[in-house]
Amino acid sequence: MKNIRIIFKREYLSRVKNKSFILLTLITPLIFVAFYAAVAFIAVQSGKSNEYTQVNYLDEHNILSKAVNKDTLSNFIFHKVDLPTEMKELLNNEYLALLHIKDKDKQSIDSLEFISSQTPSITRINKLQSYLIDDIFTQNLEDLNITNKQLNDLKPAIQFKTLEAKLDGDLESSNSGLKSGIGMFMAFVIYIFIFIYGSMVMRSTIEEKTNRIVEVIVSSVKPFELMLGKILGVAAVGLTQFVAWIVLGTGLITVITLFLGFSAGDSSLSQEMTSVSQNEAMANDTLATLMQSIESLPFTKIATVFLLFFVGGYLLYSSLFAAIGSAVNQDSDTQQFMFPVSMPLVFGFIIAQSAVFQDPNGVIAKVFSYVPFTSPVVMSARVAFGISWLEIFTSFFILIATFLFMVWLSARIYRVGILMYGKKPKWKDFAKWIIRKN
Amino acid sequence: MIEVKDLQKSYESGLVNDRISLFIPQGSIFGLLGPNGAGKTTLIRMLATITKPDCGTILFNGEPLELKHARHMGYMPEERGLYKKMSVWDQLLFFAEIKGVTKKQARQRAKYWLERLEISEWKNKKMEELSKGMAQKVQFLCTIIHEPKFLILDEPFSGFDPVNADLVKELVLEMNKRGTTILFSTHRMDNVEELCDELAIIHQGKIVVSGKSTDIRRAQYKQTYEVGFSSNAPHEWFETHCISQRTNPEAYIIYELSCKDEKEKNTLIQQAQAHSDWVLFRENLPSIHEVFVQTVS
Repeated sequence: MKNIRIIFKREYLSRVKNKSFILLTLITPLIFVAFYAAVAFIAVQSGKSNEYTQVNYLDEHNILSKAVNKDTLSNFIFHKVDLPTEMKELLNNEYLALLHIKDKDKQSIDSLEFISSQTPSITRINKLQSYLIDDIFTQNLEDLNITNKQLNDLKPAIQFKTLEAKLDGDLESSNSGLKSGIGMFMAFVIYIFIFIYGSMVMRSTIEEKTNRIVEVIVSSVKPFELMLGKILGVAAVGLTQFVAWIVLGTGLITVITLFLGFSAGDSSLSQEMTSVSQNEAMANDTLATLMQSIESLPFTKIATVFLLFFVGGYLLYSSLFAAIGSAVNQDSDTQQFMFPVSMPLVFGFIIAQSAVFQDPNGVIAKVFSYVPFTSPVVMSARVAFGISWLEIFTSFFILIATFLFMVWLSARIYRVGILMYGKKPKWKDFAKWIIRKN
Repeated sequence: MIEVKDLQKSYESGLVNDRISLFIPQGSIFGLLGPNGAGKTTLIRMLATITKPDCGTILFNGEPLELKHARHMGYMPEERGLYKKMSVWDQLLFFAEIKGVTKKQARQRAKYWLERLEISEWKNKKMEELSKGMAQKVQFLCTIIHEPKFLILDEPFSGFDPVNADLVKELVLEMNKRGTTILFSTHRMDNVEELCDELAIIHQGKIVVSGKSTDIRRAQYKQTYEVGFSSNAPHEWFETHCISQRTNPEAYIIYELSCKDEKEKNTLIQQAQAHSDWVLFRENLPSIHEVFVQTVS
């Protein structure tokens, strides 16, 4: 036990004290925030372009309304002309285009010609198209003496509220999109983390082996203690990093929301607002429902599942990765073994993406949330949709039991592997090492 | 100190150590010699409690060898390395700690040794920042930081530059004086002759010769003497009676003569005295190198 502690301490401290670890831990949340800020900025900016293209339109039969002039969505300014704009002029000015409308009938317009020196983007063309449709649609309505408002009033405003029936007879609001999002995020994080920290264990084992440090260590520490100390040490590094990210992330989000003057609690305001238009009321209502759905999520369960299955999944896979690391002589030899070992994890992720979101409580999703090699990913994808504690603990128990078995198996490979040099091992060797006596 | 009886170890490739028996006396410097692939490292790994023998026993101070004895051993494998990303200081403390040294003691000793080797300024440097020579010193310190009673050095001078090799030699002798038993595994004979008072030659998994260094050389003694003269000119009597003759680097002529008893030895001395350029007369004990080559071939 003391030896495991010493190995654990070394593994943990040497990583946590490392400058690149500290830097990565501090910077990652910033990178995330910067990334989303950049995406948001680009999204906002691209809609706000102030480069307008002048469209000289030649409307042979005057089917467009006289009001047509400027569309801010597609960034076109319309200018009615009597003669087709000359090619030379079009070629010389990239912000000039010609729209030639030859049709007579407002019901079917199929001979529109858009001519410019540069091909416009599909979005701009689509926007232009809907702008023209709207224009003609409004004219058609006017011909029938119907206003736009009258038409809108004919369409009922519909909004769903998905509710989940609870055992105690209560109804809780639920939001499938939100749950899928949370499930997907957790499945992804667990999937990535198992790979990152699992391969950390593997590389650390390879380092000790190639440097022959392992010979010095196993002359006083049992190989099993060395392996377990290492696995636990790296797990602690992972958890430290994760906690740091949560703290930093929460801090950053708080700062940003304060800065933007928006806080989640504001949704309650929606009830007080009386003089808002129908659309706004609906949007606020959606926000309120969303907040309600967030509040009704089983947070304790989600957090517990995340923690249990992150740790359990990591332990299971890292013991396999440690066995691989002990057997090979260099990083590049790991590929052939990594692939089959990580297959179930990849498969679990695919299950999480497909089966779970189509039917989170279906047979496939349920079965794979008990299979220990896929349960970390599948279970965390499912948890937001509501799973009983019994299911969670049964699956976790299977996971831990498998881990104990695998760690025993891996240790048997490890104890022989770390002292084997020279030729590249084969699967057959693994089997031989497992059954070999001390 | 260490007693090995009928030790046997085999791998898939076959028998590597075959019925090995050895005795390493307390306080000795023991040389384990053998060509590459003779089974030295396999034997050492068993002595260092890294692997277990298939059969046979190893006694450490009279007790069957167990993992608990490992804390009294220091082992420096032939191919070396330490944690690249760890500082010299942390490294020393880690190796002391896994050998059961308390934290306080480990700090004191690390400080002492860094000062002793005048490398205190490297304390916080990571291994990857050190030159090879520096790393070698740190490696040696990691091996002895827990003050082992039994020190195993596998090819200790390979890869060390001459300055560091001398430093290690000096430290090893100093530790030996303070009672540490030392096991050298090497195929470099000059070091063995210089340092070891006991030795064993291992060949194809078997111990072919073992015992006191001088006894072993004497056992191979062919009862010959060497007589040397400072001039290169032929010395008639010797020319006719010698087994072999050679010229040494100082251009002395050296004759090797067989000598079965005191009478023959006296004749030899009389003949030598007759020449004014006579400079050398010695019993021709084979060098360890010769013993080694003869045993192994």
